[in-house]
Amino acid sequence: MLIDINAYVGHWPFKQMQYNTCAKLLERMNKYSVDKSVICNMNGIFYKNTQSANEELHEELQSDKRFRDRLIPFAIINPIYGGWKDDFEISTGKFGMKGIRVFPQYHDYEITDPAFIELVSKARDKNIPVALDIRMVDSRQRSWMDIPVYTPGEKKDIIYKEWQLKNIVPIIQAVPNAKFIIVNVANGLNLSAEETELFRKTDLLFDTSGRSMSDLPALISRFGKEKFAFGSHSPILDYLSGRIRIEYMNDSEADEATKEMIRSGNARRIIGI
Amino acid sequence: MKINRRKFIKSTSVSAGAIVLGSRLSACATDSELGMSEYDLMKDVLKYRKFDSHVHPFDKTEKQLEIAERLGVLKLQVSNPVTNFSGSEPEGPDVVRKNNDVVIELVRKYPQRYVGFFTLNPLYTRESLEEIKRCTDAGLIGYKGYIQVKLNDPVYYPVIEKLIELKMVIYMHTYTQLGLGGYRMKYDTGRFPNTTLAEDMVETATRYPEGIFHFAHLGGGGDWEYQCKTLKHCKNIYVDTGGSNNEDNIVDFAIKHLGEDRIFFGSDGAYIHAVGRVLASRATEEQKRKIFYDNYVKILKMGGRYAD
Repeated sequence: MLIDINAYVGHWPFKQMQYNTCAKLLERMNKYSVDKSVICNMNGIFYKNTQSANEELHEELQSDKRFRDRLIPFAIINPIYGGWKDDFEISTGKFGMKGIRVFPQYHDYEITDPAFIELVSKARDKNIPVALDIRMVDSRQRSWMDIPVYTPGEKKDIIYKEWQLKNIVPIIQAVPNAKFIIVNVANGLNLSAEETELFRKTDLLFDTSGRSMSDLPALISRFGKEKFAFGSHSPILDYLSGRIRIEYMNDSEADEATKEMIRSGNARRIIGI
Repeated sequence: MKINRRKFIKSTSVSAGAIVLGSRLSACATDSELGMSEYDLMKDVLKYRKFDSHVHPFDKTEKQLEIAERLGVLKLQVSNPVTNFSGSEPEGPDVVRKNNDVVIELVRKYPQRYVGFFTLNPLYTRESLEEIKRCTDAGLIGYKGYIQVKLNDPVYYPVIEKLIELKMVIYMHTYTQLGLGGYRMKYDTGRFPNTTLAEDMVETATRYPEGIFHFAHLGGGGDWEYQCKTLKHCKNIYVDTGGSNNEDNIVDFAIKHLGEDRIFFGSDGAYIHAVGRVLASRATEEQKRKIFYDNYVKILKMGGRYAD
C-alpha cells in the first residue's frame, strides 16, 4: 500500500509542468503503483484569493469518480486574506478536504502571524493536518519573478531565504497539539536538543521528497519511525527519488513494518483515513 | 502492518460533501480494475548498469562504494577540483597536486570501481602542462575544471589544446544561474564570478570542434532549460544529469534538445536523486541504457585510455 502525501495539480507559472492534472497524475500513479495521493491546487499559491483554487480542485474531483477514489484534496488557505475563515469552513466541510496547505512565503506573512496561529488552531480543533513546504523549488534555478527578491547588487547567496527546518519551529511551539506535515525538506536540519524533542513529541510527518531526506535511516533514529511518509512533490520533483529512499533501505536500516509505516501507515494516521 | 489494497480504497474514498461512497469500483476494485500496474521499484533500479560520470572523493570511500553498489552503479568517475568556496583559499599548483593525489590514490586502491580525472588551475600554464603529464602517467584519464578561469578565457587555450591532443574529455563545473558568472548580474550572488556559463562552453567548443566537452550537472541548481537550449547545436558538448535539484522533466527535456547520445548519468553526490530522475523520465529502455552507461563508456573509449 502506497500513499503519496505530497503532490500537486495546477500550474507553476515559471515553468511548464508535466503530469499536473488529476488525469495525468492518476496515469502516473497507475504506472508506478501508487494507491492514493494527497494533492492541492498549485494555482492557489499564486491566486490572491486562494479559494478559487480550492473550488477548481473540488470541481475537477467531481468530474470523475476515479479522482475522488484516489486523490485526497487539501485546501490552500491564506489566513491574511479576506474571508479565509469561510474558505476554511467550506473547504474542510462541504468540499470534504482532508487537510490544509499554507504558503507563508508566497502569501507574504510571518510564521508567527496571529492569523496563521488562529488558522492552525482551527485545524487542530478539526483534527486535520497543516502542511508546509521548506521550499517549493530550488531557488538557484528560480525565475526572476519568483521569491526571494533582492535589491540589485545585494551580495547574498540566493538560497538565503529558503527555509530550513528551524523556521518551522515557531508555529509548532505556538500550537504544539496541532498535526503538521512538512514537505520537500531540502535544507538544513539543525535543531537544538529542545527543538528536536518538540518535533519528536508533536504529531508530525516529514515527506521523503526533499534532498535532505537522503540519509533516511539516520533521520529515523533521530526523530522516530512514525515521523516519515512517502512524498513525491510531483510534478515539481521527479516521481521516484522520494520512494527510492524508502525501498533502498536494507533490513538493518528499516524492517518491513517500518517501511510499511512510511509507505502508508503514518499517512493514514495523520490524515485520519 | 500491511493493508489490503481493495479494503483501503473502499475505506478511504474522498467524501466530498454530498458525494456518496461505495460504488462497485471502490468496494471491489482489483489493481487491474483500478488500472494500476505492479511496479517493483528496486528491480527497476537494479535493471540498468550504471556509470556515474560525476563524483568527488567522499569522507568515507567504502560508504560511497556501498551506496553505488546498492544502486547498481558499477563505475564512478572521480575528480577532486580545487573549490575555493570562500574566494580567498589557496589554489596554486601545490594545492592542485595535493587534490590530484587523492584521486590517484583512489584509482590505485579501487581500480575496478573508480576512473580518475585530474584538475588544474589554468592560470599556471607551465605547471598545468606538467601536471597533465604527471597525472596521465599515474593513470588518470580526463580533466575536470572548476571556477579558477572561464573556459573561453584565452589563458585556457594551451591547456585545452594539450587535452585535445591527448583526446581527453574536458569536463567543467558549469552553471547558468541568476547573478553568477556574468549572467544577469543585477541579481549578483557575490560568488564564483569565473563560473563557466553555457555560452562560454559553446564559444570554446565551437573554436575547438575536435574537442570533447562535458557540461556538468544539469541538476546542479542551474537553469537546465536555459542550459539545454543554449547547448543544443554544439554537438561536441555532452551533459551529465547530476546534482541535488531533482526536478522532474530534466532528462526528458535534455533528450528533446540534445538527443539521447549526449547525456551521461551523473550524481555529483546526490546518488538517489541521480537514479530517480532518470528512471522517472519518459526515456525508453534503450535511451535509459545509453544514459546510465553506454554513452559515457563510448566517450571515454575515444581517448584510448579506458577499457570497459
